[in-house]
Amino acid sequence: MKKFRNKQAGILCFSDLKTARGKTLYWFFFAVLCLTCVITVFPAIWTVLTSFKETQEIYEAFSIFPRNLSWDIIVKRISESWQVLQLSDEIVNTIVLSLGNLAFKIVVCGFGGYVLSKLKPTGTKLIFTLVVWTMMMPGQIRMVPNYISWLHFPFASDNPMGANLLDTYWPMWLGAGGDTFAVLLFKNAFDGLSNSYVEAAKLDGCSNYGVFFKIMLPLAMPIIIYESIGVLSGAWSDFFTPLLVLDKNVVVPLRIYRLQGDSSTQMNTYFMALVFASIPPFIIFAVFQKRIMGGINIGGVKG
Amino acid sequence: MKTKQEIQLQKNMKRNRRKMKLRNDIDAWILMLPMVIILYLFVWRPTVLGGVWSFFRMKAYSVGEFCGFANYKIVLSHTQFLPMLWNTVQYVLWSIAIGFLPPLVIAIMVNEMVHFKSGFRVLIYLPTVIPGIAAMLMWYFMYYPDNTGLLNMLLAKLGVEPYIWLNDPKFAKLGIVIYSTWKAFPGTMLLYFAALQGVSAELYEAALIDGASSFKRFWNVTRPAIEGLLLLNIVRQIISVFQIMEAPMAMTGGGPNGASTPLSLQLYNYGFNSGGKGTGQAMALGVIIFLILIVFTIFYFWLNRKVEDRH
Repeated sequence: MKKFRNKQAGILCFSDLKTARGKTLYWFFFAVLCLTCVITVFPAIWTVLTSFKETQEIYEAFSIFPRNLSWDIIVKRISESWQVLQLSDEIVNTIVLSLGNLAFKIVVCGFGGYVLSKLKPTGTKLIFTLVVWTMMMPGQIRMVPNYISWLHFPFASDNPMGANLLDTYWPMWLGAGGDTFAVLLFKNAFDGLSNSYVEAAKLDGCSNYGVFFKIMLPLAMPIIIYESIGVLSGAWSDFFTPLLVLDKNVVVPLRIYRLQGDSSTQMNTYFMALVFASIPPFIIFAVFQKRIMGGINIGGVKG
Repeated sequence: MKTKQEIQLQKNMKRNRRKMKLRNDIDAWILMLPMVIILYLFVWRPTVLGGVWSFFRMKAYSVGEFCGFANYKIVLSHTQFLPMLWNTVQYVLWSIAIGFLPPLVIAIMVNEMVHFKSGFRVLIYLPTVIPGIAAMLMWYFMYYPDNTGLLNMLLAKLGVEPYIWLNDPKFAKLGIVIYSTWKAFPGTMLLYFAALQGVSAELYEAALIDGASSFKRFWNVTRPAIEGLLLLNIVRQIISVFQIMEAPMAMTGGGPNGASTPLSLQLYNYGFNSGGKGTGQAMALGVIIFLILIVFTIFYFWLNRKVEDRH
């Protein structure tokens, strides 16, 4: 047990781990974590395995593992399901939606957070108080009024001049911009950057915009990437706003939600749809795994 | 005595500074304008209008005449209102009961590991990666009432009769809470984990020299470092679970017989599933939810200030 020697002192220490009691405790922790991993991973594995089964088998065999599993069967099941589901349009739509969400979130919330943190013009206090208070307010109260304003954008009542945003991605995009939580996240990130950067750059004759784009934005990259990961994978998960808004040009999560009421879909295809829907977020996770796991501490929001 | 020149110079400087301030204000407001406009259009205005329109008779999605508390009367006198409120409270209680400790315990355990530490973190994080709707339907099938469901399959292996899971009005809410705990605890775990890593190893070493036992080290070193975060998280959890809607919507549709309908889902039904007759009631219910949660929100901010002050 060479590894124990390098253990940082914590609730358990190297000296504890030499005793029987400490060792037992350590391996008990280890066992609990293994069990937790089973709980977290097993449902996903079951879903994948079920998607490789034949429909008949799902209703008859009741076993977790498919009766016969080979590379050929897997390929066949994937191509069959893809043919039935035809998800390519939805995938493109979801990518478009997520990129729009990202642009709005960064431009609207990022700029807003920067101004609230560093430039602090007259009126900052009022805006900041409003942002903090609306952050914790339940979204339900806004649901119907928002729907009404999507029907007559930008008016909130039935004004014939208004544009109908239904069946476009604008409600989601604008909604991504109106995320007070993200504004505060950005504000906190910029708060952590020293003011002296701003002053030094200004003395060198840099404009306010120059300071923001050339100095602050690159320095805030970690938080921007963190937020981007959340936004990009969020679009693969949110079905509620699309459910209210979209009829044609649906996105993947909405399609999955609608599959539930569609009895013509075979069980195994259905499970494969769940697998397909999970692949893009998994790719995002795999690429940015280190960033996500690094865990930016967003625990307390400064109010 | 100041010379005329000095006075003039001071005046110039003052004017320059004022000019700079104005320039700064204009730039800042231009950068902030998109945020203010969007927040006004989609957050602040609808919040106020939701409150105002809850007193109006709505014709589908257009505003009719003032009707006083009529919408509130309809909402509150609905025979299912109290059961739904109780459902919502039960969601919150269950989620605190089974969802509060696991992320903390797991975070502490992962933090103590020397073997396979990052592997554990990645595997445990997995549920958070699966998109919400896919995970909900996955669990819907795990809870499937016949032998095709995973849980009944496991029961069958143990020789136990299949159980109806979500079709049981007593279990439906708990089942949904189990799903949402499964989905959400890894994210919270990571948050706690980050906080635990912020605790300096020197503190533990000092405690060790003083002869503190494992439990004492946990209680006197670990606990103070994460206490504030825990308190804030519990309030945040109450606020967010009180608004639970998507999981019951996708997993049970609020059933069986309304046994898993929370207030938010009822609000959605009023607003979008009533053929346009219930939009006024939807907003009245929104105000009711708002009034209940504002208490917790105020408490949250009060708590937040306390926690910040301590650090």
